[in-house]
Amino acid sequence: MVRLSVNEKIQPHWWSKTLAGLLLGLMLAYGIVGIFAWYGYGGIDAPVKVQFNMWMICPIWILVLSFSYLFKTGFNAVVYLLSVNAVVYCAFFILRWLS
Amino acid sequence: MRVRGDILRTYQSIHTWIGIIAGLVLFIGFYAGSLTMFKHEITQWATPASHQLSQIPIEKFDKLIQQASSKFAKAEQDFTVNFNEHLSPLTWFERSGGRELALNNVMRHATLSEDDQLITQVNPTNELGELIDMLHRTAGIPGKAGHEDIGVLILGIASVLYFLALVSGVVILLPTLVKSFFALRPNKGSNRLWLDSHNLVGIISLPFHLIIAWTVIVFAFHDFFYGGLSLIYGDEPMFEIRSKPSIEYTVEQLPSISTYLNKIDDIAEGYKIESMAFSNLSSANPSVGITIINQHEMMRVSSGDFIYMNPYTLNVNYSSIPLSDEDVYTPIVAGIFSLHFGGYAGDFGRWVYFILGLLGAFIFYSGNLLWLEKRRKKQSQQSQSSRIMASLTIGVCLGSMMAVVVTLLVSKWLYLFGSEVNTYYLWCYYVCFFSALLYSFLRGAAKSAIDLQLILFVTCLLIPLTSVVALLFPSIGLLRPLIFSSFVVEGIALLFSAVFFYCFLKTRKRAYQGERNSI
Repeated sequence: MVRLSVNEKIQPHWWSKTLAGLLLGLMLAYGIVGIFAWYGYGGIDAPVKVQFNMWMICPIWILVLSFSYLFKTGFNAVVYLLSVNAVVYCAFFILRWLS
Repeated sequence: MRVRGDILRTYQSIHTWIGIIAGLVLFIGFYAGSLTMFKHEITQWATPASHQLSQIPIEKFDKLIQQASSKFAKAEQDFTVNFNEHLSPLTWFERSGGRELALNNVMRHATLSEDDQLITQVNPTNELGELIDMLHRTAGIPGKAGHEDIGVLILGIASVLYFLALVSGVVILLPTLVKSFFALRPNKGSNRLWLDSHNLVGIISLPFHLIIAWTVIVFAFHDFFYGGLSLIYGDEPMFEIRSKPSIEYTVEQLPSISTYLNKIDDIAEGYKIESMAFSNLSSANPSVGITIINQHEMMRVSSGDFIYMNPYTLNVNYSSIPLSDEDVYTPIVAGIFSLHFGGYAGDFGRWVYFILGLLGAFIFYSGNLLWLEKRRKKQSQQSQSSRIMASLTIGVCLGSMMAVVVTLLVSKWLYLFGSEVNTYYLWCYYVCFFSALLYSFLRGAAKSAIDLQLILFVTCLLIPLTSVVALLFPSIGLLRPLIFSSFVVEGIALLFSAVFFYCFLKTRKRAYQGERNSI
């Protein structure tokens, strides 16, 4: 294996990565679940779907959180997660505006 | 598989620190959760047989309800019909009741005699199974924040960490997974063996652990998740709003029991009614919660599924099983619950969950020990922090188990001193737990581990012995054991006394002959 130089290695940045994963991960989970809630199978008012949606928030959120530590720096984590959030929420609001 | 070294190191630190922070509460949650798989058996085992009245044939239930509700004011509103042969046919609460855990519930049991005369008796309820369930959900941490238990919230946070630990644990293992998956290396020193079994158990039961972590987080924080979801739903109502009912009913109008049996046959084929809990019968808002069982289906909890309906109109308000084919989300949601509660594969599934829960507890215990041993090797002398952590691990894990076992043991003896035993259970648990914790701090982890395991062995052994004594000398007035459920509880106790005895011998050998300074 090639030895990585110091700035190629993953930096710990525990606090920033954890916070980014917790907050932005949660927002991302809500965004994805939101799109599914309105446009996924059965539409917004299918019976019991609200429970299913609530259940799905958690796994998306904690998966994003657990892989946040793979970003090289805490700053990277914030930037990437923010941009994914932006894309998802744009999609959500455009879809809502169209229908 | 190759993983970059820096990734490995990152996840190694996550894994270690999280294990140390969350392992102890999760340990209690897991082994107590194993016991809750047999919650009803434990309660039945602890309740004196004389508390239950004899069952009656199904066609006599209508007469029983009619007589009971005309004679007792409480039974005009709420009562529960049981079809289980070990329980009284009709019960209702004389004091308190409801879904919250209450220690001084008083229940009236009713049945009919041979010549259709009403027989009733009043008993304080036994909450042993519920208390163990409470321990499982809160890890014994008391207190409430608003309407949520603080213990539940703490376990919820611990579960987020636990999920992180699972992911990081798998990442660390990836490079050596194929090579040393089934490798148990007993001849490479005991630390290697502990590590191997920690990894093996972790990987094998990974799906179970992922499910448990997910569901526990949702159980703890569902209000929070729904709160955020309401922003997404906007003006769309999240839950059906029911129109305010205006018709007042009285218990005399109640349909016969056979009506419900037919209705359940109609809408849920293959299910058998276990019990029916009627509430607010003489009001505009009556309800009946019917517990139904079908061992061949995936059930919401290991003891059944639920259907709630209006007892007069038979309109279904809520059902945990899908009642129409278009309903796709009910079975998915019910499935998630079922995966937590082990409600599938019948009794076999319950045993598997029992074992998986204990293995989970083993993972946390062994993880903590591995960390302590590793720290010890790095330092010539045990540092203050590892000593504290060692005492905490031994005190909390073994102490909590000992406290539960002692409570189980004294349960039958307590009835000699009166029948309001639930408060004593609580005292017994906390006194034992804190004395064990204190002891492991005063005496040191290694020595107290030996003693605690000896106590565990003896108390486990005494549980079946108590029943033997009760059987041989009925004059003492100890309860005579029930038939099936007592075999389960006492069989487990016997098995565990053997396990603890073995561990006791091992630990003692290690402490006296092993390396100095070891834990």
